[in-house]
Amino acid sequence: MNGRRFLQPLLAAAVLFAACHASGAQNNNDLVTSLSSDVISIQSNFTGTEIVIFGQVQNIERQPNDPSSLDLAIVVEGPPQDITTRRKGRFLGVWVNREAERFQEVPSFYAVASNTRIGALADRDILDDLGIGLNHINLAVSGASNVPLADRDDFRKAFIRLREEAGLYSEQESSIRFLTNTMFRTNIPLPANIPVGEYKVKSFLFEKGDVISSTEETMAVAKIGFEQITFKLAQQYPLVYGFLAVGLAIFTGWLAGVIFRKD
Amino acid sequence: MNIFVIFGMGGAVGFLSGLFGIGGGFLLTPLLIFSGIPPAVSVATVTTQVVASSASAVVTYWRRKAIDLKLATILLAGGVFGSLIGVVLFEVLQSVGQLDLVISLSYVTFLGAIGSLMLFESVRAIRRRKSGVAPKARRPGQHNWIHGLPLKVRFRRSKLYVSVIPVVGLGAIIGFLGTVLGIGGGFMMVPALIYLLRVPTNIVIGTSLFQILFTMAAATIFHAMGTKTVDIVLAMTLMIGGVIGAQFGARMGQNLRGDQLRLLLALLVMGVGLRFAIDLLLVPEDFYSIAIRKGAGA
Repeated sequence: MNGRRFLQPLLAAAVLFAACHASGAQNNNDLVTSLSSDVISIQSNFTGTEIVIFGQVQNIERQPNDPSSLDLAIVVEGPPQDITTRRKGRFLGVWVNREAERFQEVPSFYAVASNTRIGALADRDILDDLGIGLNHINLAVSGASNVPLADRDDFRKAFIRLREEAGLYSEQESSIRFLTNTMFRTNIPLPANIPVGEYKVKSFLFEKGDVISSTEETMAVAKIGFEQITFKLAQQYPLVYGFLAVGLAIFTGWLAGVIFRKD
Repeated sequence: MNIFVIFGMGGAVGFLSGLFGIGGGFLLTPLLIFSGIPPAVSVATVTTQVVASSASAVVTYWRRKAIDLKLATILLAGGVFGSLIGVVLFEVLQSVGQLDLVISLSYVTFLGAIGSLMLFESVRAIRRRKSGVAPKARRPGQHNWIHGLPLKVRFRRSKLYVSVIPVVGLGAIIGFLGTVLGIGGGFMMVPALIYLLRVPTNIVIGTSLFQILFTMAAATIFHAMGTKTVDIVLAMTLMIGGVIGAQFGARMGQNLRGDQLRLLLALLVMGVGLRFAIDLLLVPEDFYSIAIRKGAGA
């Protein structure tokens, strides 16, 4: 398991090299990226992992005296979810959930890495448009909401903060390292509680505030083995799952009754 | 969460349930909630655990033939109905974000009321024992308003002739509360059967356990299908810890007096209720919370 984890990035790098050389001279400003693994398997002992993203910027002379000319951002996005954020307030002396805001189609997982400050990559409009950076994620709200307009921003901030605390949203500025003038790599940690589904890995190459090239790859996060069986049963065959739970419970109880029989 | 911590909690509650002769759901569910497991998952998973703990006791009562099957079946019919209503309410409360509040408030009310009743009763019993006055014997032939209701049925095993209305109603109430709060409800069922229906005490516990076993089995299936909050791995861990703990508890319980046990249990019940009350009244650490409503992991 561990061996594979270290081997995969190397393998990815090797494949990348081969790909770059095989394709030969291409258009200017081409961005090529590769993931250390395009399938993340969750087993019962899964405690989180990380993916390594390698990339190469072709035919670009990176000026040593002008490092700001070329910037990179990589966004990893999980499958969309609808999430309700609630705020507690006092009601008859008791703390209860009062206002609620429902954010629609927000990523279940979001990680962004860049080689510099996110704000320095491009203008706000461009970042908002592409959803690069925690402050630039598109958090669409549903029409029905009892949140006062003045408090909307507090709900957005609280939402982002809670997701960060759960390890599901993260922003790592300056975490992309250039290995050579044209090759770069970055690590994105994936916590133990990542949702399953299809993930998107989007890479953007900026030059002086404009996107000049981008790539998009997919990565699958899936449960395997025992985890997959129980998950699938619970989601797709809940009746079977319920009977299984009851059967196991009755059997355990009966067994205990027989083992510890006194009379 | 660490699996050994959960195993330990199952064992500790199992010990107490063996010691006091109770199901322990009303202690286990709060314990899981206090340790950070979402209330919805705690409730649904404990219903499964209650199936295991009552199954192990039902085996014993079955062998002693101390179960009134006819009474248990009618109670059960009410119980399944109550459980179904419970799951529907559970889902509605979950979608409007007030489930945690209702669970906490219900626990404060029930544990507070039952804890103080038990406390007074046990203190009185201890005083009486110390002063040497013999307790007044109850007259079994006494009737109350319940015996005036129509639709009477004869229960041979319990030597009873009562209306099915209070029986079904009682089953439904316990099934409903059990499903919403994650408790078996034996601590409410047993006194109700004895004082309201006048079921003989040697039949009460077996019959109540039998009905709890199947009502909670139904609740588990309803929760699995409706709220999808049953966690088999969590439930199995709790069960195994629970059945082992219960054996040690039962052995230790034999060395303690009944009224002393009831006093300890009353204090425990009130303590848990108090904890819920404090959590509701204290300023929360975080005013905000989030809940996944649709999509991956909902």
